[in-house]
Amino acid sequence: MAVLLKKNPIDILFLGITAIASLSVVLFIAGILYILFTESSESIGKFGILQFLFSLEWDPVQELFGAATSLFGTVVTTVISLMLAIPIAIGIAIFVTEISPNILKGPIGIAIELLAAIPSIIYGMWGLFTLAPIMSNYIEPALQKSIGKVPLVGMLFKGTPMGIDLLTASIILSIMIIPFTASIARDSFNLTPAVVKESAYALGATQWEVVKNIVLPYSKLGVFGGAVLSLGRALGETMAVAFVLGNNHQITSSLLDAAATITVTLANEFTEADTDIYLSSLFNLALILFVFSFIILATAKIFLLKAEKRYSR
Amino acid sequence: MKSDLTLNAKDLDFFYAGGVQALKKINLPVLKNKVTALIGPSGCGKTTLLRCFNRMHDLYPGNSYKGEILFNNENILSQDFDLIALRSRIGMVFQKPTPFPMSIFDNISYGLKLKGLKSRNELSEQVEKALINAALWDEVKDKLNVSAYDLSGGQQQRLVIARALAVEPEVLLFDEPTSALDPISTGKIEDLIVHLKNDITIIIVTHNMQQAARISDRTGFMMLGDLIEFDNTDRIFTRPSQKLTEDYITGRFG
Amino acid sequence: MTVEKRRQIESAVALSLSTFAAFLGLFWLIFILGDVLVHGVSAMKLSLFTEDPAPPGIAGGGLKNAFIGHVLITLCATMIGVPFGVLGGTFLAEYARGRRIARIISILSDIMVSVPSIVIGTFIYAVLVKPVGHFNGWAGAVALAIIMIPVVLRTTEDMLTLVPWTLREAAFALGAPYYKVIIQVVYRGASAGILTGILLSIARVSGETAPLLFTSFNNSFFSVNMNEPIASLTVTIFQYAMGPYDDWHAQAWAASLIIMIFILILTIIGRLIIKWRYGKR
Repeated sequence: MAVLLKKNPIDILFLGITAIASLSVVLFIAGILYILFTESSESIGKFGILQFLFSLEWDPVQELFGAATSLFGTVVTTVISLMLAIPIAIGIAIFVTEISPNILKGPIGIAIELLAAIPSIIYGMWGLFTLAPIMSNYIEPALQKSIGKVPLVGMLFKGTPMGIDLLTASIILSIMIIPFTASIARDSFNLTPAVVKESAYALGATQWEVVKNIVLPYSKLGVFGGAVLSLGRALGETMAVAFVLGNNHQITSSLLDAAATITVTLANEFTEADTDIYLSSLFNLALILFVFSFIILATAKIFLLKAEKRYSR
Repeated sequence: MKSDLTLNAKDLDFFYAGGVQALKKINLPVLKNKVTALIGPSGCGKTTLLRCFNRMHDLYPGNSYKGEILFNNENILSQDFDLIALRSRIGMVFQKPTPFPMSIFDNISYGLKLKGLKSRNELSEQVEKALINAALWDEVKDKLNVSAYDLSGGQQQRLVIARALAVEPEVLLFDEPTSALDPISTGKIEDLIVHLKNDITIIIVTHNMQQAARISDRTGFMMLGDLIEFDNTDRIFTRPSQKLTEDYITGRFG
Repeated sequence: MTVEKRRQIESAVALSLSTFAAFLGLFWLIFILGDVLVHGVSAMKLSLFTEDPAPPGIAGGGLKNAFIGHVLITLCATMIGVPFGVLGGTFLAEYARGRRIARIISILSDIMVSVPSIVIGTFIYAVLVKPVGHFNGWAGAVALAIIMIPVVLRTTEDMLTLVPWTLREAAFALGAPYYKVIIQVVYRGASAGILTGILLSIARVSGETAPLLFTSFNNSFFSVNMNEPIASLTVTIFQYAMGPYDDWHAQAWAASLIIMIFILILTIIGRLIIKWRYGKR
């Protein structure tokens, strides 16, 4: 290709411009990393990296900051939302690829894609005005009366059901990532060659046996990659949880308590930070979120690429 | 005479979803423990016919059959026929090797496990027997727990045959089983098919006329959804009664 | 019970559960859409589009400032993001095709698409708000542009790759330099796909809230000055929904409905273009 470029100055110029444009992505990543790091240097200097990660303090008045409470909320909401979303998303994918009649496949596929396009602030607002009251009036009291009575498990459902809590936030988050996870799972399922499925049917397998023994193993890399990608998304989601988590910096055993995630802390406190160390600690949180999401998203990408490579032949 | 027939298609019509008629009034008696070959130009319906015998078409909505196919004098096209049982008695091997994403051992034992066989010893025994029958045992006996994807294309195809043999079917359907293979692997599979007919009835679709001539006892020539001629293989290839068959055999078209 | 019977029952149960899961998922999603629709329609008023906000606590007023501000920020973001994205994608699919660098940038872009948008907000705060001394519309536009670039870049790369190589060779054979081949032949072949990518990226950023919270911030007054804080629909929804007044809540629903409809329309148009240009997918 280099031959084609010879002696044409405009071509070299165009190459330069496009190269710079594409390198901008790399620059942004490096820039975000560098800026977040310098901005949080005061916080890192004062509290140390590990101490900041594990410190339970979040006290703007005494100017003591630690990430543990925000990390706690982030991890709990992410894990619960994935536990709720993944089975449902796989169910949707199985339904769309294996069960639904052909005429429904298109519309359901479009519906999933449209739902994935709905912005998170709408999920968040719906959570605040519609889901939170339902949770506090019906679902949470019912949970307390049933599995809340079981020893140990009951710990998860202690307290006054307010609807503004970890459980509600996790449910909204899960509803939000379902379309996304389902569409990746469906695409992975579709990578299973029809003839391999037919071979299993030809041995007398039932439809479920084909899904369980052929389709799922065949697409496990892709489905796993999709789940990790959803994890990355859920981790960094702000608006869907900001409305219903309460931004309360605490570590609690009960899912019916308010809490904070990194994103919720940032959304609520960034513009209110009145001291340098406060702002620097918030940048520190952003840095932690960026690094973790980046690692998780990169892992997901690697799995998805492997899945593609392995079966696209 | 009647007891010599394993499968018997009678006035069989087949329509794909949307109403396109792919098979027209097919009458094909399949002799027990013989190799029956179906030849014809692409799109003639030979694969469609093959896929009627294990009702593979039922996987896709909208397809429909008319007429009957008798399997040991039972009509397999009847509405309430148990497809799962049918398919464990009539196996199928496809054009391209279709190993499942699991080990060699698990591939072969898959059908047996479906049937409820659990004992490890019995499974091992059956797996070995199937692999020996498929002439693959010597090549894989030391690596049964290796992924089936690690085998070569020809080995994978014999693995798939072994997998079909493991459930001890009465009939085995082959859909152009060697079209994706090199000549040496093809030779091995042809030998295998000839050898297998001692125990089972075989129907093979092939686009390779020499292959049909080499391995089959009976040959059917199809065109545009019609079964033009069906007779003993040597007769089809030496003295066909139909002009169309003769044109095809001598390479005047197709 | 025979083995076959048991297996068939197991299959039926498992498939019913999948179906149930599918309907459960769809139920929630339809519930949300329906709820936004019902609340949004009942709060829809002409004054929403023609009036600026009333002082807090006083009923009435509208969101004119937020509509205009939102459009302005999105437009500026598009003007920055699209050239970067399209040109960047061109580099990956043309000059760097098949090279390691193209692969790396492509993967990094895919990751950037999913990076938490609030992190980008904090980054822009540090580089475009703190040095200036106050929130401003440009900061919001740049934050959105950074989200947009990888989306446009990746679609452009994919769409250019779909253009057959022989088409370029035919143009080379006529003696055209590569840049002319790209602009006159390749872009033309991929225009529908690139346009779709741009539409979807606009749909994506026009629903963003988090990156605007500390960049363009908010403004209760009408302003089109991009050097000053500027109101946006999404940030206003956040503020109004969390606020104490019923009138605010109603306006937040209405604004949500409008954003939702806008995004759905863009997404559907994008799909239609793809379908019309590339057949069934």
